[in-house]
Amino acid sequence: MNIRSKLYSALLAGAMLVSAGQASADDVIRIVSGYPTTTLDPARSAAAGNIETFGQLYARLVRRNADGSLEPGLAESWKISDDGKTVTLTLRDAKFSDGSTITADDVVFSLLRVRDLPDSAYSAPLQQMADAKALDPKTVSITLKTVFAPFIGNLEVFNTGIVSKADVEKRGEKEAFAGAPVTSGPYMVKAWKPNDRLSLVPNPNYWRTGYPKNDGAELIEVGDENTRVTMMISGDAHAVRGVPWSQVADLQSREGISVPLEPSTVIFMTLLNHARAPFSDLNVRQAAARAIDTKAVTKAMTFGHALPANTTLPGALDFHDKSNPGIAYDPAGAKSLLSGKAPADPLVILITDNPEAERLAVLLQAQWAVVGLNSKIEKVDSGVWWDRVPKGDYDAAPTWWYNETPDPDLALRWALCGSCGSKSFYTNYNNAKINELTEAAAAELDTAKRAELYRQIQEITTSEVSQIPLYYPPYANAYSKRVTGLMMTPSLQWTLEDAEIVQ
Amino acid sequence: MSRAQAILMRLLHLIPVLIGITVVSFLLVKLSPGDPVRLMMGDRATEEAIAVVRAQLGFDLPLWQQFALYVGNLLQGDLGDSIRYRIPVAGLILGVMPRTLFLAGYVLCLAVPLTIILAVLAARHAGRWIDQAIRVFSVVGMTVPVFWLGVMLARFFGLELKWFPVAGYGETFLEHLHHLFLPALSTAIWLVPLLVRNLRASLLEQMGADYVTASRSKGLPEGYIFRRHVLVNSALPTLHLLGVMVAFLIGGSVIVEIVYAVPGLGSLMIGAVLGRDYNVIQGLTLFYALATVLVTLTVDILSTLLDPRVKL
Repeated sequence: MNIRSKLYSALLAGAMLVSAGQASADDVIRIVSGYPTTTLDPARSAAAGNIETFGQLYARLVRRNADGSLEPGLAESWKISDDGKTVTLTLRDAKFSDGSTITADDVVFSLLRVRDLPDSAYSAPLQQMADAKALDPKTVSITLKTVFAPFIGNLEVFNTGIVSKADVEKRGEKEAFAGAPVTSGPYMVKAWKPNDRLSLVPNPNYWRTGYPKNDGAELIEVGDENTRVTMMISGDAHAVRGVPWSQVADLQSREGISVPLEPSTVIFMTLLNHARAPFSDLNVRQAAARAIDTKAVTKAMTFGHALPANTTLPGALDFHDKSNPGIAYDPAGAKSLLSGKAPADPLVILITDNPEAERLAVLLQAQWAVVGLNSKIEKVDSGVWWDRVPKGDYDAAPTWWYNETPDPDLALRWALCGSCGSKSFYTNYNNAKINELTEAAAAELDTAKRAELYRQIQEITTSEVSQIPLYYPPYANAYSKRVTGLMMTPSLQWTLEDAEIVQ
Repeated sequence: MSRAQAILMRLLHLIPVLIGITVVSFLLVKLSPGDPVRLMMGDRATEEAIAVVRAQLGFDLPLWQQFALYVGNLLQGDLGDSIRYRIPVAGLILGVMPRTLFLAGYVLCLAVPLTIILAVLAARHAGRWIDQAIRVFSVVGMTVPVFWLGVMLARFFGLELKWFPVAGYGETFLEHLHHLFLPALSTAIWLVPLLVRNLRASLLEQMGADYVTASRSKGLPEGYIFRRHVLVNSALPTLHLLGVMVAFLIGGSVIVEIVYAVPGLGSLMIGAVLGRDYNVIQGLTLFYALATVLVTLTVDILSTLLDPRVKL
């Protein structure tokens, strides 16, 4: 035992010597997230980690300020024609990271490649664009297929960042984004180590003079949530994404760490498969929804840090109808709605294999069992989940989604519109009235009238239980108090360029 | 057969092994459900865009054609591109490999001396309190789950005492030593007991052998007999066990890599499996097979050096 303890002491002493010899290189902001960066090409992915990265690399024509309202970005001004179908944008003097001027040609190229590349991951924000033309090096004219209220806002979405036409044409689509892309945003890539981290350095040519306010950042990928929390407490991270709800209070109570719980456009809900029995029956869907005590579920899942959801749209979106009473918790009513309709075979609740999804599924299963709706939980990895859900191979699938901009239009097209391509998030919910209202609301320029249309949409889809809304969680991100100005916007963008390390 | 010829033969044996591994790993990843393209492009990618990318990657071809293409590339030394990252698999593996090898080497540096000291102490004091204490340590070390131990060590030495970083790998050699100490220690804590039990048993067996009695009767000093004869003769079984464990560490340090956020081969494999990154999974599987064969060969060569009776 003596020898062993001496050995340990010697090793520990050696390690301490090593630690004493290190310089503290604490000049870059380290953000730790479970979501990986897998590509640097804004057109080619709409997965969570990449969305965060694109915003740091590519500036958009417009930007959102701290309160969420739109302000000029690379476009210093814009004009909308009287018929509402032509948008003319004037670019400011700005340069790419390689020193070349950002011209109208680059803007047209960037927008058209997102709309037209056959492998563009998310062309929806620009689908209403009929054409984009460079009138002169500083002026872009965009014509729309129809009058489209969300268009300017959509020019702020993560994949509409401006890339260098000359560089992509010179190096080719693949090579231009392989490791050192020419950027227009606040940062350039210093080094990208896939599966590990993306190191960013300030883009000296970024159009916002004086930004970024820091010497660079590292976006570090750490899959394990406990490890992320440990890194936050130890000071290895300045910010971490996705703190487990059970550890939020502990982190909040620690000195030097804040967990501000910023509003997000995330909604947790459960998908119901309308294409097959039993959820093809409105009564069964309503029964399933009434059986669930969303307040209790919210509390159990998030330790009371989220708000119970009242409609099918995320609570932080513009035009979310706060006055909608939601679906009342009414197990007795659920039972009578179900009478004679409960299926003999258990329903399949399909979830991805993670503790949060499992807890949620167990809560749903228990509450449904009370009203006579039996179910079994099938746990699969996300690869299989995304294989089965689009094919409609499930009955219920508790999960979450978010919207990349405060305007509800893209959210509707993704989750509630049956004719917009994604079969209402693969629930197969398809109400012609909702499909019509989706287009009508997008074409309505009068804000009050738009609000009324979105109110109707939420009323119909909630009462028809297109999905069962559960809760609206804020972001559980933790920040070191050594960093100021850093937050995450509701649309999943870090305000990294505003962040500063205070000593 | 000379030693060089024997080594060459062993390397030639690699060929059928690699062919078998290639076929099995290809079929396993291709036949398992899940679509890498959907995972790469994100939730909102349209079915049309996904179909286009699947065609670009050749996933719409019949399985035998995909296999022929893969093997064709492989024969030219091309492991293909990662589906997720669109960069060559070989570069991806070589980029993270040093971290895992460093960690495996570090574990050996901690585990081997500790094993020898503890096993010798236990064997020479067999049945006495020191042997019992080492036995208790061994049982505890083997039964404590590595992920739990990892989290506990990180919280105690990293957060409370602040002696070691809780995550990452560092930039310089000294930083690597510092960052990887807790991961290496966590691994050594389950590895050492295994080796100690094994070595102690062989030591006891050899200590009772006739040649030891003969040496004693010649009047050789006890320490000399132990070092020169007993220890060397006992080392072989433990060396083979260690070889298997090293191969396992290179391929299987997944848990410590995840708990301590060391982006090595283990976490690359996990990411590749979850993201259905076929080419990375296959590339890593081939790499593991190669590493296992090479480690075994090294152990066999070392065995011939330790004991001339052993032939390759």
